[in-house]
Amino acid sequence: MAEPGASREGPGSSVIHDIGYRTYDGPRRDDRSIGWSLYLTGLAHAYGFGRSAKAKALPLSMLALSLVPAVIIVAIMVVAGFGGNFVDYSTYSGSTFVLIVVFTAGQSPVLFTRDLRSGAIVLYLARPLSPTWFAVVRWASLVSAIFIFTVIPVLALYAGALAAEADVSEQSADLLQAVAGLVVLAAVLATVSGLVSAFTLRRGLAVGAVIVALLVSNGFVSAVKTLAAAQGNDLLGQWVGLFSPFTLVDGLNAGLLDGTPFYPLSPDTPWMTAVYAATVTVVLVAGLWLLVRRYHQQGTR
Amino acid sequence: MAVIETEALTKRYGDLEALVDLTVQVSTGVTGLVGANGAGKSTLLKILLGLLQPTSGSAAVLGHDIRRDGSSIRAVVGYMPEHDCLPPDVRAIDFIVHMGRVSGLPPAAARERAADVLRHVGLAEERYRLMGAYSTGMKQRAKLAQALVHDPRLVLLDEPTNGLDPEAREDMIALVARIGRDFGIPVLVTSHLLGELERVSDHVIVLDGGRLLRSQRTTELTQDTGVLLVEVLGSALEQRRVGEALAAAGLPCRPRQQLIEIDLRSTARGAAPHDVIRDTACDLGVGLVRLQPEHGRIQDVFQPEGRSGG
Repeated sequence: MAEPGASREGPGSSVIHDIGYRTYDGPRRDDRSIGWSLYLTGLAHAYGFGRSAKAKALPLSMLALSLVPAVIIVAIMVVAGFGGNFVDYSTYSGSTFVLIVVFTAGQSPVLFTRDLRSGAIVLYLARPLSPTWFAVVRWASLVSAIFIFTVIPVLALYAGALAAEADVSEQSADLLQAVAGLVVLAAVLATVSGLVSAFTLRRGLAVGAVIVALLVSNGFVSAVKTLAAAQGNDLLGQWVGLFSPFTLVDGLNAGLLDGTPFYPLSPDTPWMTAVYAATVTVVLVAGLWLLVRRYHQQGTR
Repeated sequence: MAVIETEALTKRYGDLEALVDLTVQVSTGVTGLVGANGAGKSTLLKILLGLLQPTSGSAAVLGHDIRRDGSSIRAVVGYMPEHDCLPPDVRAIDFIVHMGRVSGLPPAAARERAADVLRHVGLAEERYRLMGAYSTGMKQRAKLAQALVHDPRLVLLDEPTNGLDPEAREDMIALVARIGRDFGIPVLVTSHLLGELERVSDHVIVLDGGRLLRSQRTTELTQDTGVLLVEVLGSALEQRRVGEALAAAGLPCRPRQQLIEIDLRSTARGAAPHDVIRDTACDLGVGLVRLQPEHGRIQDVFQPEGRSGG
């Protein structure tokens, strides 16, 4: 009979050696590198990567849906030989705004509710990064996730326009202007939805609250705008535009960057444009301040 | 060498005193921080991590001041919180790698160390599963792994045995002992179960209502108390007869439930109490069941003087 130990070392088998605890004496990264790592993981988590299979379903299907109109437009452009005037980059986000709302509502709790709900926030705050930086990095991940979601269809349109032999310099200028608008839109949406999520401890409630905040405000504002336009009350239409992230950024985009407005009655005077710009600034600064404060409170509980 | 030093550390929440004038030192090895719920254990850990500012007093962790150097402390200290803190929709391996990265490890080192520490805590097989499907015991192990992944110079473990069944509790206690002895990482571990830490901790700090009750080596707490316990065969009547005979023979004794308690500290020098007990039992024709020296327990610290044990 073979000895008990012998069979373990027979051909085709291997032995696991317990090499004991190994210390780490290599370099340790600084806050900037730690923040970058946290940012990338947050961005990946917003699209479900690095999480369960189920978590990828919503963000990726929303992204695919938002690409459908772009793909159809590109196909028509290429097949029918339409030039570049057929597409308008800065209004695309307006036509797919419901998908953007669903994506934002579904994914902002991933970055702002999940840590608080699961208690993982305690582990993050026991790490070198300060609560302030943690809040800012989480916010940056969400801004990037929303920006990527909105810019991919626009890039597809741009590629299609170039394939249809549209004027490159003209298209590129339009694209840059639209991208600038999308950055602002992503920042405002991330701030509003991040705030709602960070103060809602249940994911389902957070999703609902963000949808209500974005969809209802937009429905109300665009209805008032349409009424105001019909009655010729331009001033009302312009002021009410401040109360929904979509009309706010659309108005700023039209007034400041000379983009094509998606909603009627965008600001047409420098003074009104300044009011729009100031509102965007206040929303971003106040929102980030509240988020930072929220995470500071978590550390001292 | 002291890894933690506090000086008159005080934390108040309004009128509530969570920590009062705490001056204590923690050195290498395993240190148990014991006290009832609400004794100030978790508050102390959060202050040591630089997450909570003390109302007054000072403290240094690994030579870093807690008020100024919180970030440096948190880079080299591992912390395992008491409550749930694991995202359910992430695999253990991914989460531990991520926690290594946010502690400052480069990517390759984080991956290597995550696999290492998961093996050490006994999650080698289960590391690719989502943590939401883990049992309480596995969650506690994953929480311990994230506290070790960045090779800390000190670990603070807050109630690591909370919610575990007796077997998992034993495993966790053994793991804590391994960290302190085999891994060579100083450990400060809290528990509200006082007896639990007796076996693993080299030193015990006892808090009561935020105040320091005792800080001494575990062996000093658990050494012989100088009391000998005697159990005899038979009913309470036999016990009384033996007790009275022993008292008559000059041994200070009193009944303690089914046992006779003999205080050897007050017996005369040169007396041989064990011989006296044997001869007394023999004379009375009563069977001796056991003669047992009583050891101290951490719980006894909370008992008023002169009423030790149960």
